[in-house]
Amino acid sequence: MGLAHVCANRLRAYPPSLLCACILAALMLAPAAGAQPASHPTEYQVEAAYLFNFGKFVTWPPDVSSKRKSFDLCVLGPDPFGPVLVQTISGETLNGQPVITKHIASAAESAGCAIVFISSSEGRRLNVLLPALAKQHILTVSDIPHFVDRGGEIGFVVEGGHVHFEVNQSAAEEAGLSLSSELLKVAITVRKANPKGGR
Amino acid sequence: MPGQSRSISSRFTLIIMVVSAAALVLACSAFIVYDQLSVRDSIVRDLSAQAQIVGANSAAALTFNDPKAAANTLAALRGFPGVISAGILTPDGQVFAQYRRTGVTEVLDLPSLGPTQEETYSFHEGDVLLVRRIELQGKPIGSVYIRNDLEELHSRLQHYALIALVVLLVSLVAALLLSAALGRSLAGPIVKLAETAGVISREKNYSVRAEVASGFNETDVLVRAFNDMLEQIQRRDAELLKGQGELEQRVEDRTRQLIAANRELEAFSYSVSHDLRGPLETINGFTYMFLHDFGAKLDPAGKDFIQHIRSAAVRMGDLIDDLLKLSQVSSGTMHQEHVDLSAIARSIAQELQSHDQQRKVQFVIPESLVAEGDSRLLRIAMENLMRNAWKYTSKHATARIEFGYDAVRGSYYIRDDGAGFNQANAERLFQPFQRLHSLAEFPGTGVGLATVQRVVHRHGGRIWAEGAVEKGATFYFTLNSESSTELRQPA
Repeated sequence: MGLAHVCANRLRAYPPSLLCACILAALMLAPAAGAQPASHPTEYQVEAAYLFNFGKFVTWPPDVSSKRKSFDLCVLGPDPFGPVLVQTISGETLNGQPVITKHIASAAESAGCAIVFISSSEGRRLNVLLPALAKQHILTVSDIPHFVDRGGEIGFVVEGGHVHFEVNQSAAEEAGLSLSSELLKVAITVRKANPKGGR
Repeated sequence: MPGQSRSISSRFTLIIMVVSAAALVLACSAFIVYDQLSVRDSIVRDLSAQAQIVGANSAAALTFNDPKAAANTLAALRGFPGVISAGILTPDGQVFAQYRRTGVTEVLDLPSLGPTQEETYSFHEGDVLLVRRIELQGKPIGSVYIRNDLEELHSRLQHYALIALVVLLVSLVAALLLSAALGRSLAGPIVKLAETAGVISREKNYSVRAEVASGFNETDVLVRAFNDMLEQIQRRDAELLKGQGELEQRVEDRTRQLIAANRELEAFSYSVSHDLRGPLETINGFTYMFLHDFGAKLDPAGKDFIQHIRSAAVRMGDLIDDLLKLSQVSSGTMHQEHVDLSAIARSIAQELQSHDQQRKVQFVIPESLVAEGDSRLLRIAMENLMRNAWKYTSKHATARIEFGYDAVRGSYYIRDDGAGFNQANAERLFQPFQRLHSLAEFPGTGVGLATVQRVVHRHGGRIWAEGAVEKGATFYFTLNSESSTELRQPA
């Protein structure tokens, strides 16, 4: 599994140039990957866990968080996680609220969501989606490249087989969310000024 | 100096020193132990706080798998010089991030946390290791450990031990000075009392008194009681001395009276004996002349009468002689000298033999038997005893007279095998004028043995006789001139 599997998953979302790099890396690291234990998490497993864990380092406005009966993790667009996300969050709670997953097709359905994962297929609609979600104090996460540059709040970046993330602090502040300094410390880049033409 | 003979004040000082040293050592030890324990507590508290901060600051790093961020957080511990090493572990115990003080290499054996345990720590020889769980939203996401050296603990121990030592020394010097001063005030009276007692027993001077303080504590009571005892001893001494003086005076008076009475008696008996001689000489002379001038004219019966008168006069002369001798023996000064009793015995034996050469008497006399005493008196005694033996063996054809020393009885003896006497009457032998035989049987005055007894007594000795009728007689006598008691002649 390991790296080869990660590359296979990534094929759907990334351009052909990445494919070559992935194959090359897979070829080079194949013997090492084969020797690794079978339980090594896949990229989507890691991302699913991160998605849930973001909830622990983000503070929503009190009137929003106090009205919630459950902590909803919503996936907008086609679900890349498959069963992984449900497995990750099953039985978990956040601030005493049970964590559940929802699948939505548009920003209109996002009422009640705490975090929305925007599937990579929705890249073209970001201009519309993000302002609508921001108004509802929703944390937006996606693995769309340059997501934070385009006004998203947290974007996954895979580097050297490791999942990292970028943070757009000002976008989060506009949505009324405060990100813990701990989270900012761990993020590989933190964007503070608005990107030009971000909205 | 052995402990027994230490003076009371130095013993007092020693006790105070030991007591104060023990109290100080105990107090200092307790203080140091308490301090060490509380410093340990505070070290653990500090470590726990540090671990909490590190844990809170590395929650995101652990959650989002960012060892670099965690290492940065740990690096802040550089500000605490006591921290040897620290680290963050993932829930399965893998090292996630680590910090080590420069120059430290280590292999850690971390204590594991129980499922409900938040924190644990363990002290080792040179360090303390604390492990604390890192939680996020109530869930364990890893743990943090911090290893801290015990430099602070050790340096505090050294400092306090040094301070305690200095305090101990200073306190002991102070205790020495104080207790010396106090000891003098406490032991002073006792020491003085002991000195006084020493002076009294050395000089036997019971008029000395110990110095009395005006207080009412035990020492003052002791001193007063001591003085009271001295007074009693002194009073009793005086009484004793007075009694002794009276007694001596009385003895002296009695002695003087006795000597006077004795002299009177001697003078009386001497003058009586002497004065009796005058008429006796007249009787003797005239009966002699009567017999010489008129003897031819007398018939045999008349001659016989005159003869009776004459022999009675001779016997009376003998009696007077013996009485004079007895009084001489009783009076006069005694001389102590070596006396060869054997030589005396031999000369007496020769004299007896020469007077009556018909008798067959064997004399047994040892070569040389020497005694301590007065030669004149001892000669009188020996003469009387040997003449007695000679006289009382005269009825036997042959006789044996022996002089010697009986080592078993410790006494001299003169033994004969003559007429002997009844042992029941042995006591009467030595009383003057007491005779066991009739005059017709054996002539004598009955004064001889009394004279011998007087001589022996004057030599502090004892005389006694053993014998049986017709079995001979033995006269034993001892001479103990050393303890001889003589009436003291007043100067």
